Amino acid sequence: MSQPAALPIAEAGEATLRSRSGRPFQISSGLWALPALIFLMAFFIIPLAANIARSLPAEDMFRFYAVLFTDPYYLGVVWQTVKVSAITTVACLLIGYPVSYFMVRFAGRWNSLIVFLLIAPLLTSIIMRTFGWTVLFARKGLVNTMLLGADLIEKPENMVNTEMMVYVGLIHVLVPFMVLSITSVLQGVNPSLEESAQILGASKLRTFLTVTFPLSIDGIATGCILVFVLTNGSFLTMLLLGGGKVTTLSLLIYQQFTLTQNIGFAAAMGNVLLLFALIGMTIQLRFLRRKGVK
Amino acid sequence: MTTIVTTPQVIERRQKGPGWGQVLLAAYVLLFFAFLLLPIAIVVLVSFSSSSFIVFPMPGFSTQWYYRIVEYRPFMQSLLVSVEIALLSALAGTVLGVPAAIWAVRANTNAAQVFTNVMLAPISVPAILLGFSLLYMLSALTLGVSFLSLLITHTVVAIPYISRTVLAVYRGIPADYEEAAAVLGASRAQIFFQITMPLIKPGIFAGALFSVLISLDNLPLSFFFGGASSSSLPVVMLSYMQNQFDPSIAAIATVQMLIAIVALGIVNAIYGVDKLTAA
Repeated sequence: MSQPAALPIAEAGEATLRSRSGRPFQISSGLWALPALIFLMAFFIIPLAANIARSLPAEDMFRFYAVLFTDPYYLGVVWQTVKVSAITTVACLLIGYPVSYFMVRFAGRWNSLIVFLLIAPLLTSIIMRTFGWTVLFARKGLVNTMLLGADLIEKPENMVNTEMMVYVGLIHVLVPFMVLSITSVLQGVNPSLEESAQILGASKLRTFLTVTFPLSIDGIATGCILVFVLTNGSFLTMLLLGGGKVTTLSLLIYQQFTLTQNIGFAAAMGNVLLLFALIGMTIQLRFLRRKGVK
Repeated sequence: MTTIVTTPQVIERRQKGPGWGQVLLAAYVLLFFAFLLLPIAIVVLVSFSSSSFIVFPMPGFSTQWYYRIVEYRPFMQSLLVSVEIALLSALAGTVLGVPAAIWAVRANTNAAQVFTNVMLAPISVPAILLGFSLLYMLSALTLGVSFLSLLITHTVVAIPYISRTVLAVYRGIPADYEEAAAVLGASRAQIFFQITMPLIKPGIFAGALFSVLISLDNLPLSFFFGGASSSSLPVVMLSYMQNQFDPSIAAIATVQMLIAIVALGIVNAIYGVDKLTAA
């Protein structure tokens, strides 16, 4: 905190000069961040570090990780975690992109309504949304009743507790995040660029593939990483809609904790999830930094 | 006559109206929102069923499940816990996160950059890992499964949600306003309360609202701390669902949704939601 208060009111040129030297007036000092720093050290950094220590038993350090990455069952779970997250991410992108495109190019005065409808599901609990799918597709649910009524099926089918249902549930919860991420970037794409391409003879498809899509790649990346990481961390959908058919790391941690209480092993699985999240964060930071340069 | 001749393009465009591609896209968007809202609407509908199990067509209309959830103590108790935790953690997150964010924006150092990343990181760490790690940490501090533990855990996640929006808003505000006030002789307290705070208020409101909504529904964090006095609503709902399948779950979920809508309404009344999205 140097002497800016003593300076006379600067002219425009002087002001930019001073801010380039990196010392504009600052109301705060490092002290302002101290409480948050101490709190996050104590209740965020140290617990996670302790968790890493917990996953490395003294007698045989890498025992848990060795099991995770060599035992066929656990390797299958790790693989399934990545697979479920990847499929959910791609599905959210394919389903969500047209909605973003519509919002930015055609929604006009409906835009605020659409934003509201996208955010509205966030006001409900994930349990509520998952329960809704159960009500729709359970043996005595709405869909079965309707299909029976229309004589399309002879006896009610159990459509819950399938892999498909898990994907439906996950996409339902996560697709708004994708749409909002893409929309915020797509809004910055000047429509006259698309017009120019078409005037110069490009077809609509070609315009989309060579102009619109590449320009929205930042939003796509942000959305994809967000959805991927969030899917990795969710277990409620798998628990309530999967019926044991889809086992991912998060679900296994939940089960280890509630049933077997194998603490060290659960800690190791959590750290694998953390590694996935860190990879996602690093890629995201890269993208943000690139954007900052532009 | 001549005016008509000079505007054939405009006329042609108006006659064509939206292309079939655009109509198709609009239809798709309608379908998308049906997908998004259908499961929620169906839960609200089922909560008024007179049947004691889920069946269609619903035999009749009844509000019995709302009486049932009021009588079922764990629901009401955990709802209270959830609301208290959501509000208190947002408050604690504001007190801790806002000053830190203010410092991090203006301090042009690598340390500040690293600190910003640390402050935002709890959003990206899988909640189940965070809850699990904190349970053992807090047990070692003899806090264990308690209301305070739950509050600390939710505050860790509240900090990034609140500081994130404050960071974004404060970054867009040039230092000139505060500098001008300082030049004119305002004290630090005056600058903070009369210049800085009013400017970053939209960020605080938006972040706190997010934080409350996330906290209300944060099962992966909460279920590790589900003691007698510290079970939050999602934890109780999950264990209820694993034993019973009746419409009272639909009723309590609807109540929870209404609470969230009221929270949004309050922020809207005090502040205006349009200002939140503008931030």
